[in-house]
Amino acid sequence: MIGRHGLERRLHERGGEREVRFLYRDRRPRIPVWRDGRLQVVRWGNGRRQSRFLPATGWTWQATVEQGYWRNIGAVRVEIPATLGCDRGVWFRIRQGIRGILVPDERGIAVAYMVCVPSTHYYQVMTRSPRMPLLIDEHI
Amino acid sequence: MSKEGRETAIGHLDADCFYVSAERVRDAFLNDKPVGVLGNQGACVIAKSYEMKGLGVKTGEPIWEAMVKCPEGIYIKRDFRWYEVLSRMMLDLMRDASRRVEYYSIDEFFFRAEVGRGETFEGLARSLRDRIQECVGVPVTVGIARSRTLAKLISDASKPHGARAVLDAAGEERLLADLPVTEITGIAGRRAERLSAWGITTCLHLARADRALVRRLLTASGEALWWEINGDPVQAINCRRPAHKTLSRGGSLGEATDDPTLLYAWLVRNVERLIEELRYHRVAAGRLKLVVLYKTGHSAVGQRTLALPSDRFDVLLDAARPCLRQAWARGATATHMHLIAEDLAPPGQAALAYFDPPDRRLRAEAVARVKERINGKVGRFAVRSAATLYLPAIYADAANAYDICDVRDKMCF
Repeated sequence: MIGRHGLERRLHERGGEREVRFLYRDRRPRIPVWRDGRLQVVRWGNGRRQSRFLPATGWTWQATVEQGYWRNIGAVRVEIPATLGCDRGVWFRIRQGIRGILVPDERGIAVAYMVCVPSTHYYQVMTRSPRMPLLIDEHI
Repeated sequence: MSKEGRETAIGHLDADCFYVSAERVRDAFLNDKPVGVLGNQGACVIAKSYEMKGLGVKTGEPIWEAMVKCPEGIYIKRDFRWYEVLSRMMLDLMRDASRRVEYYSIDEFFFRAEVGRGETFEGLARSLRDRIQECVGVPVTVGIARSRTLAKLISDASKPHGARAVLDAAGEERLLADLPVTEITGIAGRRAERLSAWGITTCLHLARADRALVRRLLTASGEALWWEINGDPVQAINCRRPAHKTLSRGGSLGEATDDPTLLYAWLVRNVERLIEELRYHRVAAGRLKLVVLYKTGHSAVGQRTLALPSDRFDVLLDAARPCLRQAWARGATATHMHLIAEDLAPPGQAALAYFDPPDRRLRAEAVARVKERINGKVGRFAVRSAATLYLPAIYADAANAYDICDVRDKMCF
């Protein structure tokens, strides 16, 4: 998988253990998703405006998903496996993963967006970020 | 030497970076990585792993400073319920190993160390350390000496994962010579300055100092430390916590506020938490004191004496309201609130009928019983005052439902 997706340059070591970092600020932002029982590495958002009709971001609010905004363009819910999150330089533990959606762009390429919610007081103080990822069965 | 012909000494067992170790017990992913446990506001590092400590991160440091020193650090939210589970497991193991154990704090225990013929204190320290590691999964350090203060100094100096016994005068002298006097619990800041003026900067200086001088400089409690570091145990191992003189609940408000409705909600929350504590200890409050700290750095106090000691919600809230009025500064942003119960007395020891109409009392007690029963069964704060509905985020976060002060029967905070 590492070779197929060219993940070598994303490999890092922390505490003697190797980890693959999927960062939104990367020049080619990618993210792993579980879809139909298969782990795929897909494009993360539309920050580089490869698509003319998808939002130019990597995030979507949970409220937007619930309002059905994404349904008309064929989005499906996915899970983003993660052991750690990094927001504004702060690394925090993630036990299961993050909620996401997967949507095709005009060329049929799968693009993932991370679902976010307004930050809890704890998360906002910790990261100084007004929004936080929607974690799977976890509240921080 | 004990009556049974066994040699006795005093031991101190201290968990190594306990909160981080506790997290690692249930999450092996964190092993060998730099980990910091944050307080409930997410602002301060309240515990750190040795990997993080090695990069200069200190306990109490704000996260934005810690991040600069340790950019690879992983931050975890505290979970005192889990830490207490492991703490009680360690306490049980200690009680199996010793006849006298003091639950000093969530991660520290003093105990009477006993060895029979052919056994050594060093071996006992090692076996306790290994047993806790094996049964609980938490690394600890054990020190054994002739007194509590020496035992604690030895374990502090032997961290992490150490096991050491020092019972001879020469060994004690070597230990004390290397340690600054501020390593002794109870000597810091002004006390250290007072000693420094007399050239007393190391533990050995203090041990060799004139006892009368130490008493003059540090009062009787300082003299007790002098005896202790000279190997005379004058501080007992307390198997039970002495009765509280006061009980308090409160702390940071999370988000600072100048809204009186929110301050009132915090007051009611603190009254409810204080009542739980009063009932657990079977005491009633004779006097309430409310301290509110403001962002400007000043604090204000409100206090009220009750007609008769009580642990009832309606009575205590009636007394707490005017305290808040007294302590409230209009327009000022409050950051912390502490509610303190003083003049504690056993409940129901006054001529109730004179002050408290029986029908009102019986109704309030019935409500309190129902509330206690439901919360005991369903979960803490399942039934609570509607005034606290102004704090939805506080109650939505399970971490706020249990604090370090809720870990009961330990000797110190």
